[in-house]
Order: sequence, then C-alpha cells, then structure tokens
Amino acid sequence: MSIPIYTYDAVIVGAGLAGSTAARELEKSGKKVAVITKLHPLRSHSGAAQGGINAALSHEDSIELHEFDTVKGSDYLADQDAVELMCQEAPKTIRWAERMGAAFSRNDNGTIAQRPFGGQSSPRACYAKDRTGLTLLQTVYEQALRDGVDFWDEWYAADIIYKDGAVSGVVAFNIRNQEKAIFNAKAVMFATGGYARSYKINSNAHANTGDGLSIVARHGLPLEDMEFVQFHPSGLSGNGVLISEAARGEGGKLLNSEGERFMERYAPNKMELASRDVVSRAIIQEIREGRGVGPRKDAVFIDLTHLGAELIMERLPELRDLAICFLGLDMIKEPILISATAHYSMGGIPVDKDGHARLNNTEFVEGFYAAGEVACVSVHGANRLGANSVLEALFFGRHVGKTMLKDIDGLTLHPASEEDADTMNAELEAILTSNGKERVPQLRNELQQSMTDNAGVFRTEELMVKQVALVKELRERFKDIRIDDKSKIFNTDLQEAIELGHMLDYSLFIVESALARKESRGAHYREDYTTRDDENFLLHTMAYMNKEGDISLEYMDVTLGKHEVQERTY
Amino acid sequence: MSMQAITTQQVTFNVFRFNSETDYLPYYKQITMEVTSEEVVLDILDRIKWEHDGSFSYRRSCRHGICGACAVKVNGKGVLACKERMNDMIGLFGTELTIDPVSSKHAIKDMVVDKKDFWDKHEAVEPYLISEIEEHPEMECYVTPMESEALLESDLCIQCGLCHYACPVIEINDAFLGPAAFAKAFRFNADVRDEGIDERIGIVNQPGAGIWDCVKCFECAEVCPKEVNPIEKITKLHNQTFERNDAIDNVATRHAVGFAHSIKKHGLLDEGELVRYSEGNIGVLKHVPVAIKMWKKGKIVMPWNMPKSDKLDEIKRLVKSSSTVKF
Repeated sequence: MSIPIYTYDAVIVGAGLAGSTAARELEKSGKKVAVITKLHPLRSHSGAAQGGINAALSHEDSIELHEFDTVKGSDYLADQDAVELMCQEAPKTIRWAERMGAAFSRNDNGTIAQRPFGGQSSPRACYAKDRTGLTLLQTVYEQALRDGVDFWDEWYAADIIYKDGAVSGVVAFNIRNQEKAIFNAKAVMFATGGYARSYKINSNAHANTGDGLSIVARHGLPLEDMEFVQFHPSGLSGNGVLISEAARGEGGKLLNSEGERFMERYAPNKMELASRDVVSRAIIQEIREGRGVGPRKDAVFIDLTHLGAELIMERLPELRDLAICFLGLDMIKEPILISATAHYSMGGIPVDKDGHARLNNTEFVEGFYAAGEVACVSVHGANRLGANSVLEALFFGRHVGKTMLKDIDGLTLHPASEEDADTMNAELEAILTSNGKERVPQLRNELQQSMTDNAGVFRTEELMVKQVALVKELRERFKDIRIDDKSKIFNTDLQEAIELGHMLDYSLFIVESALARKESRGAHYREDYTTRDDENFLLHTMAYMNKEGDISLEYMDVTLGKHEVQERTY
Repeated sequence: MSMQAITTQQVTFNVFRFNSETDYLPYYKQITMEVTSEEVVLDILDRIKWEHDGSFSYRRSCRHGICGACAVKVNGKGVLACKERMNDMIGLFGTELTIDPVSSKHAIKDMVVDKKDFWDKHEAVEPYLISEIEEHPEMECYVTPMESEALLESDLCIQCGLCHYACPVIEINDAFLGPAAFAKAFRFNADVRDEGIDERIGIVNQPGAGIWDCVKCFECAEVCPKEVNPIEKITKLHNQTFERNDAIDNVATRHAVGFAHSIKKHGLLDEGELVRYSEGNIGVLKHVPVAIKMWKKGKIVMPWNMPKSDKLDEIKRLVKSSSTVKF
C-alpha cells in the first residue's frame, strides 16, 4: 500500500491559537501551509481559556511592570529576553487580534476592558466576558481560513521525519479511516499544547495528552523544565474543571471549614491574588490539616456571593453555569467547592525566543519550531501568571510564524520517502495486533492517580523514587495491552492507546526532572528541600531519553536581565 | 449536589452502535450501570468505552461545554454530553435511556457523524470579519459596550451542530444553510467593524438555501446548549434584508410583509388575508379545501367580520415609523 507524500512550504501540528496564528502569518505571505490537528480546529483547547489575556494597555500600567510580574511569578526561572519581547509586543498583539474580529468586553469609551488577575501589579487581563480563549480561537481560525490555510482536521500526527539534525516533515493518519500520509516540508512547527492530562485531577481537555512532547523525545531531542506543572487553585471539586482566576480577580474569597479566610496566613498582602502556586499549596495544606469541606472533605469554599447577581451574570456567566452543572451549586446564592487542579505545563520543547527548537544547550534543530504551551521558551519559568498563557500562544504563534517565513527560503527541502512512515506503521501495527492482557483505561488511570499522589503539589524524594519505578513498570505493562477495536473507522481505542504511550514517556521526564531538582521553586515544591536554591538550581533542566527509554539530565543557564533575582513574597 | 451525599441509581442504556466499515445496519446494545448523582452524560459514554467496550466511539474534548465536540441525543433530545447531568436526564425520561448520534443518517461510527455538510455550510457564509486587517495597530477599534452587545451572544456559538441536525428543513432540503450558519452570518453582520454584510446578505437571502426557507419551528432555539437562540438571529437577518431593500419578492417575504399589512390595517392578524397575500390570488386557491374545513369549525373570520384593535392608531404609528419595505 503506497502512502502519498504531500509537499508544503511549512507544516504545523496543532490548530489552537499558536498553530492557527502561525499558519495565517505564513499563508498571507504566499507560503503553502498545512495544519494538522486531531480535532477540528475550533475544538482546540485554547478555546477553553476563560479569564483573560495580559497586556499593559492602561496609563497606570507599564510594560516594565508586566515584565517584572512575569519574572517574579516565574520564581526567576524565566528567560528575561523572551519575557521582555512578549511583554513589549503584548499591547500590539491584542489590538491586532481585536482588529481581526475578537469580541472583547469593552469600557464605556469603547476601549478593551481589563480586570485584575493573580500576581499582577495592575488590572491587566483583557477579557471577553469569561470566554476570552473562545473568541480568540474563533478569530485566528476564521482569519486563517479566510486566507486559505489547508486544515487537515481529525488527522493524527504520529511522527516527525528527523534525520541528520533536520526535521523535514510529519507522518500522520486520518482518524476517520486510517488513511496515511506524509507531509514533507522545509519547516515544521509543533503547537500541540500541554501535558497536564497525566494527572488524575486536571483542568485539561481529553485531547491534551502531550503527544508532541513524546514524539520529539523519542528521537532523542531534549525536553526542558518538565518538572514544572502548574496546579491551578480553583478546579471544581471532583472533576478538576477550571473555575477561572477571574473568580478571584473579581473578588472571590477562599474559606476553609471553619469559615476562616485562610489566605491571611499564607499571603497577607495579596491574599487570594497571590501567585497560583502559593494559593494552590495553601488550599492543599488546609485540606491536609483537616479543614476541607464538601462530601469528601477534599475542597475549600470560594465565596462570590458578595459580588451580587448582576456582576456575576455580566462577567462570570459561564463559570456560574459550570458550578451549577457539575456541583449543583449557584455561586450567586452560595459558596462553591474548589481545589487545586493540574492545569498548565511550563515545560516543553526547548526553543529560543524566535521559536527555533534546541538540539542541545548550544545548537538548534534545522527546520523545527515550537510555540504555545508545548514550547518552553521560557517565559513562564517555574510558574506561569494567569492570563499570560493566551498571550504566549497568540504572540509566539505569530512571532514564530514570522521566524519561519524569514528562514524558509534559506532552508532546503529534504525529499521524503515512504520509509519515513515506518515508525508510525510499526506503532499502529503493534497496537492493533498486540494480544496481551492489559487494558488502556486501567493503565491510564493508574498513571494519573499515581502522578497526582506522588508528583503533585507537594513532592518528596521518597514519593518520586516510587513514582519513577511505577512509571517504568506501567511502560512495561503497556507492551502487553490489548484493544477491542481493530477497525479502521474512527478507531478511538487505537488513538487512546497511542496517547497513553505518549503520556507514559513524558511522565517519566516530569518525575525524573522533579526528583533531581532538590529545591522548591514556583510550582515545584519539595517538602524535603523547602527553599529555593539559586546557587545550584537557577538553571533550566534539559532532559533526554535514550533508545532504552532512560532519561538523562543536563542543565542550561537561565537568561537573566534587568529584573534582579530576589526573594519572592506575596 | 456536592454538599450532600452522593447518590446512585441503576440505569439501562440502549446505545446506538454502527460501524460503517463492517455493519450493514445500525443496532442497539443494552448496558445497565449504576449512575451517580455527580455524573454527566459524557461520563456514561466514557464508562461504556472504558469499562464495557473499547470499540465504542464518540467525539469529546474539553469536557466543560466549550469545545462543542460531544453533541449526542438522549431519548431523542439533543444534548451536549459533557454539560448534561444524568440526574436531569433520569428526571425527564426515567431510568431507561436511549443514546443516539445527533443524526443517524450521517453516522459513520456509533456517536460519530460525518459533519462535512455542517462545516461546508459554516464556511459558505464567510464566517470571518471582513475588513482590511491592520497588522500592527497602535490602537484597537473603539466599540462601545452597547455596540458589542448587538452581537446578542451569537459569538458564543461553539459549532456543536445540535441545531443543525435538529432542523427539520435541513432534513428535507440539502441546500438549506441551517441555523448555525445563519447565527454565524448574523454574528459578523452585527459587528460594527465588519464590511462584509453585502456579501453575506447575498448568500443568506438565496431562495432554497437561505433564511426565507426557515419554517420558524424554534427547534434550534430549544436545543441550543449555549442559549444562542439561532431563530432570533434568523429573524434579525430577515430584518437586515428588508432594511437594505434586498428582500426578494417571494412567498416567504410576502408572508412577513402580509403580516405587517394586517397589523397595520387591523392591529390584529387576519390569517385568511395573510395566506392570500403570501401566496397570491391564484396560489391561495390550493388552500380552499382546508379553508372550507376550518370555516365549518368556525376557525375563519370572514373579511367583513374582521375585528380591529382598540389601540389601532398607536399601532399604525409604530408600523409607519419602523417599516422600510416597498412591496
């Protein structure tokens, strides 16, 4: 059976904010672009972003303050050259999205409205009610469609073509009928999103299985800062679905079972609007000390009743609806139940500030780029500030699109051949024919539960040593799976198995990187090393996987700048 | 719910199964499960796949009602699986539930339907802001809160397709663009920054494909999980075509105009005259048998007996101030 080879100037995997934005940028300049996505573009998880997108637009705010808040929020692990670039370009980026059609909420004078968010010196989050990501995703997709980008929706990107230090294409199959294809291009971009789906309680979409990370890692390419997983303070109790930081930004108060506003003890100045890692640890600590609420005592209250029905209906209507649907609680009338939920991936494919993927600390991969949550630029360091992720995806999506445009004429097309699909073919064949006794949902559940238990908000050496062994064991058991569906039409049984394989691989990166980082910084909190250790760990982790699946770690300097490293308090 | 204890009850599901590769006809598979008070319909789909049969396929992603992937039908009612509480379904339909795809006609694998017709129609209405995009703007366009409210939440549509596949016109008329596409057309026509209203009105004003073939059944408004209310947007598009003098003289537009004439004349609806005006003096004849039946049951008011509203003067002034139509 022959596999068709399609040739494009650029191929982008992922059709969320970063992918669609980059595609439009290239297509507008006359390049032929394919975007491959395992969903329909409008189903991408960018659309789930609720609260806002940061830019220092107002006279009371400044670019420098935005930079400072971001660097401080990152616990000084962010690369300051990248942060400066993003913050400087933020106002223009948001206004450009507005010009393309984004339906932002407005001030009375017609300008874009902004609201306060955690860890910020000024109300800086531009918003569209509580569905900011939705309007932005729609807008960039619509304009990319208008410009004629080829979207290959419901195609699963299974591998990259990587030879001699260069990436020259993507190997994929059509989820609808298992038709296979090779996408040959001079430039390839990954914009495949985050990896919080490896945790039991998470805010992420089913699709966020971090495929892009493992695809890259299996070729021996590095992943950066994978230990930094952000736990968002306000996931709905039970299923982890997100209640936006806008709820705290608009004035929500956190209360424990004694009715105490406990943030007074953890962050007396910023209270509920301290950085996310600080608030999440406070919540989990309250629950651990027996002051949790709800039927399982595994949550705390967020009380919004004092805001009144009018403000809640105007600014937080979707959030109210979510709490009614999943908890049966109306935030206008009563406090609702929340707890920390795995939310955002600070780590990812290491790139420079222009989106070039790193081969190691000093060299780059030819023709390979990444942007959005899958990338580690790093603008978020050890902890991302609320409303900076949408900004990152939108700004770097566009910026890296421009980088590709600049590079593309200097790159050569390495012609692909049918053998480039061998790895994908072998992977599909192995899963479809494996006749073992393990079940994918069972293994995935064990992985997710153990990651939450052993590599979650609070970490120790003992728990993580245990988790390394467990992930390795699960990887062995994964070789002995059997799936029910052997057919070609919309075989999501097969897809979930491939995705689990990815989750297992990158989870080992998370745990090995976390085990070696013997300090507490941002979202990575070690109960056995409770303070930040700048002397030994003001460094990015660069992790590599060898053919045997073992991880080795190196470290890379952080790009420091005008915002001096200092103690971080809220 | 979460404040109280979690309760469970036994539910029997009849699940639509079909694999277009191997099955000639669809069939139903029965599964009985304990359902907890915390669960939504998507949890049931997940459990069918993960605990009973891995070959069961459905679309899903965000699991909180924003990506639009997981539309299905429960006992014929279109729902977004991730946002529909099982307790509510049981309350409505009891403990034996049938789960179907949004359109069995379009099913390719279990709950998964081929949505090509849906997306083609989405793209047909030029679903993007038409304007010269300023690529490096120093300022945003100024849009007042009132102007932004004019979108009437049409930008909240998540393209789940529930209204599209619930629409009875789509069912019989392949050309009809459908409520989701019309809501999208309205979303941009209503945007003060957009310059594409001429093109879009040209598209949605076409006989057969366009807004005049809507039968105003309100199914789209009823089924929409985001309360976008597509029929309201269709009506707004009707108004836009009249306002722009783009309305084509046909039975559907004359129905709207005839309605207005009747209100202007009587302050009330003269149904017989409405049919005559819409269909014409010849066309109305085909309705004579029905009219006679209705007359026998006293359902038809004769023209000379048509009552008038006692606020007729006020109504006339209102109609005069708001109407732009020329026929």
